[in-house]
Amino acid sequence: MIFFNNLNRVALVLVATLFLGACATQQQATTKGDDAYTGTETVKFLADGVPDRVFFSTNKSELTSAASATLAKQAAYLKANPTLNVVLEGHADERGTREYNLALGQKRATAAKDFLVSNGVAASRIKVISYGKEKPVNPASNALAWSQNRRSVTVKTN
Amino acid sequence: MKFKILKIFAFLLFLSTKSFAVVSVDITRGNLDPLPISVSDFYLDAKLNDNIKKLQLESKISEIIKNNLSRSGLFFPLEKKSFIQVPEAAHNKPRFEDWAFIKTQVLVTGKISLEKEGRLRVEFKLWDVVSATELSALAFYTTPDNWRRISHMISDKIYERLTGEKGYFDSRIIYVSETGPKVDRKKRLAVMDQDGYGVKYLTLGNELVLTPRFSPTSQHVTYMSYFKNLPRVYLLNIETGLQDLVGDFPGMTFAPRFSPDGKKIIMSFAQEGNSDIYTMDIKTRVVERLTDHPAIDTSPSYSPDSSYICFNSDRSGGQQIYTMRSDGTNVKRISFGEGLYGTPVWSPRGDLIAFTKLYKNKFYIGVMRSDGSGERLLTENFYQEAPSWSPNGRVLVFYRETPADNTGKGGGAKLWSIDLTGYNERLIQTPTDASDPSWSGLLSTK
Amino acid sequence: MQKSLKVSLIAHLIIIIISSLSLSFLTGRVQAPLVISVDLVQIGERTNIPYAPKVSDGEKTDKKTKERLVTEQAPPKIVPKEKPDAVPMPENIKQIKEILEKRQNPVKVEDLTKQTSEFEKKEIFDPNKISALIDKSKKDNSESNRKVSLEATQSQQKNVVTSKLTITQEDAIKAQIFKCWNIPIGLPYNENLTVKIRIKLNPDGSLISSEILDQARMNTAGQTYYKILAESALRAVKLCNPLKVPSTDYERWKEMQLNFDAKEMLKG
Repeated sequence: MIFFNNLNRVALVLVATLFLGACATQQQATTKGDDAYTGTETVKFLADGVPDRVFFSTNKSELTSAASATLAKQAAYLKANPTLNVVLEGHADERGTREYNLALGQKRATAAKDFLVSNGVAASRIKVISYGKEKPVNPASNALAWSQNRRSVTVKTN
Repeated sequence: MKFKILKIFAFLLFLSTKSFAVVSVDITRGNLDPLPISVSDFYLDAKLNDNIKKLQLESKISEIIKNNLSRSGLFFPLEKKSFIQVPEAAHNKPRFEDWAFIKTQVLVTGKISLEKEGRLRVEFKLWDVVSATELSALAFYTTPDNWRRISHMISDKIYERLTGEKGYFDSRIIYVSETGPKVDRKKRLAVMDQDGYGVKYLTLGNELVLTPRFSPTSQHVTYMSYFKNLPRVYLLNIETGLQDLVGDFPGMTFAPRFSPDGKKIIMSFAQEGNSDIYTMDIKTRVVERLTDHPAIDTSPSYSPDSSYICFNSDRSGGQQIYTMRSDGTNVKRISFGEGLYGTPVWSPRGDLIAFTKLYKNKFYIGVMRSDGSGERLLTENFYQEAPSWSPNGRVLVFYRETPADNTGKGGGAKLWSIDLTGYNERLIQTPTDASDPSWSGLLSTK
Repeated sequence: MQKSLKVSLIAHLIIIIISSLSLSFLTGRVQAPLVISVDLVQIGERTNIPYAPKVSDGEKTDKKTKERLVTEQAPPKIVPKEKPDAVPMPENIKQIKEILEKRQNPVKVEDLTKQTSEFEKKEIFDPNKISALIDKSKKDNSESNRKVSLEATQSQQKNVVTSKLTITQEDAIKAQIFKCWNIPIGLPYNENLTVKIRIKLNPDGSLISSEILDQARMNTAGQTYYKILAESALRAVKLCNPLKVPSTDYERWKEMQLNFDAKEMLKG
């Protein structure tokens, strides 16, 4: 009888752990799908109120809504300063193979460029370069640093 | 009647049998321990001049051989101090019982002498101590300063004679030397002997250089450089130091590799942000596009017979390994395990593809057959990638990064080698941090 | 509800107990030789020289003197083999080019083994032929067909009903050889490489002779792997000399055929 009671308890614990496990995996899944940096720690400004960089999720090159908002400001700024040329530098975090990251950085910077162009900035004013994982802004090896390094930075060239 | 036939059969059976039958025992198990080997110091010919004598080649050569054999994981070199017989006697008439006593199974002995014109003659003999036989004996002629290569060539001969497969010791590794802080790394191309000696720098570090790869003849290197801030694939002649831009692409070219005949370079070209795989004939400069897909296609590598190419693509959503015919047709995904797969490299034997795998935040170096079956992970770590095959397809060299702390300090990359069994993992000492290794072919082809 | 659960629980327990009992019975049979093998090794140490080569061994000394004859009497002739040039590093170029002016190759190789005199080949010693070192008396050509698929080269040998050792005896022999045999790890696992060695033993288990049955294959071109496996197998036999043998039935095991096959080990 005691034995059986124990068994009951064990079963309860088992079920509870399973639930918790499910919760944990679900949480992980959400952060993995969308882990773009949202802070302002590394951000510089092209001009007052115009952030110079946008951030991406792991292995992704799609623009987040925050990235689109930033790029819209950049587009407005560039249109207001028609003699200004820029280069978009695409980067990746250190958690990927070097060659793939070069391609990924290129894709990220190009995504940013495409947004600027579709918002009225002449394509001839924009150059794109990928540094892959070669130029991290934060050299630490943690999730925060990696999210800050997955970025496309708009740099004035004149 | 039946009985009679049986009797005849029995009689025949009896005839075919000799006086007694032999017990047969199947030996299907043995130990996979490395073979105990003794590398005796070589002995110096008495006529050698002092200039040669002070090089101490007699112990240096045997030391290199010993290190090579030990690093291969297939041999267990015994300590010199346990040797009973002196080098000269051992070379001329080994007392096998003395060597068997210290439980060595094979013995290497040698002799160094001087020939006319100041050339060095290095002779070695390989003995089977247990069966008391000479297995091979060779002599090499060279200038004295080539003694390191001689040591590697002797190592290759020993390896070949005892394993049946080609060696890999007389070869080089090209890599990227890294110095400076992580946010502003200085990267230079460097080349060294396979065992880490004789490092020479090929670029000054003024621009970022990545992913060097040897040509099959080991005379040329193709690599990626950010020269003038234009990331492009270059070709470098090691002998002359001359560099050449590969092709005239209006965008980033990267991930270069030679075709097995050395006539083409296969690489990625990123156009409008999209990376696809191209080849360029080095002589004719004819460019051919092999993939045309909106996803990333990169890290291409030819099969040794040039008929297939393996590459990395995220067309299925994540990074996976694909193969295709070398004309770009018949694209097939071959990696189906959990996780992401990158940097496929076809083995020089043709049967295996080495790769990097990312699974649950860990990085693995592994191999699979060229149809994707038989996946085997050899090593797990925080970060490692970019395997490159030894010339005989037995060992992989790759780079491994240790994590930086939260202030960004302490992270660094080093070169490691591991053999196909996965048991024998070794650090390759380099003067600086090092990444992106590429193994040359055997320098001596005979 | 609870009752039925209990019943099923008890029933399961009974099944588990029974199966584990019968399993341990089964494994017990398999494990038995392993235990014995440990015993054997301990006893084996009594014979103070576990290593094959002994100076007093007649066969051995013979070989050794022959060996000496080779090196003393006939220094091998030298035929230099051309060696292709190295890839010089930039710093080396000048130097190596100087050499090139004088001589075509920075490194030349000469093969000392292949150049032996006629006399040596016939009378004394050919390093490529282990056969020369093995007792040539082939008294018996009978061959087991147990488990082993016959190779074409051995077709001349006849199939015989093989007398058997008990499983324990056989496993004891296997366990000893297992320890002596360093499998050449570089061998391919997907090739049919079975090396058959015929050994003859004294009643005390010491080796009278060992002979590779498919001797011809040893020196066939393209059979390098076979040769290397055979050499390693021969070393194993000699390293295991003297074998720890059963105290009875000498007639049954005085001659044995050992079939060395590393396939399973190399695969794993």
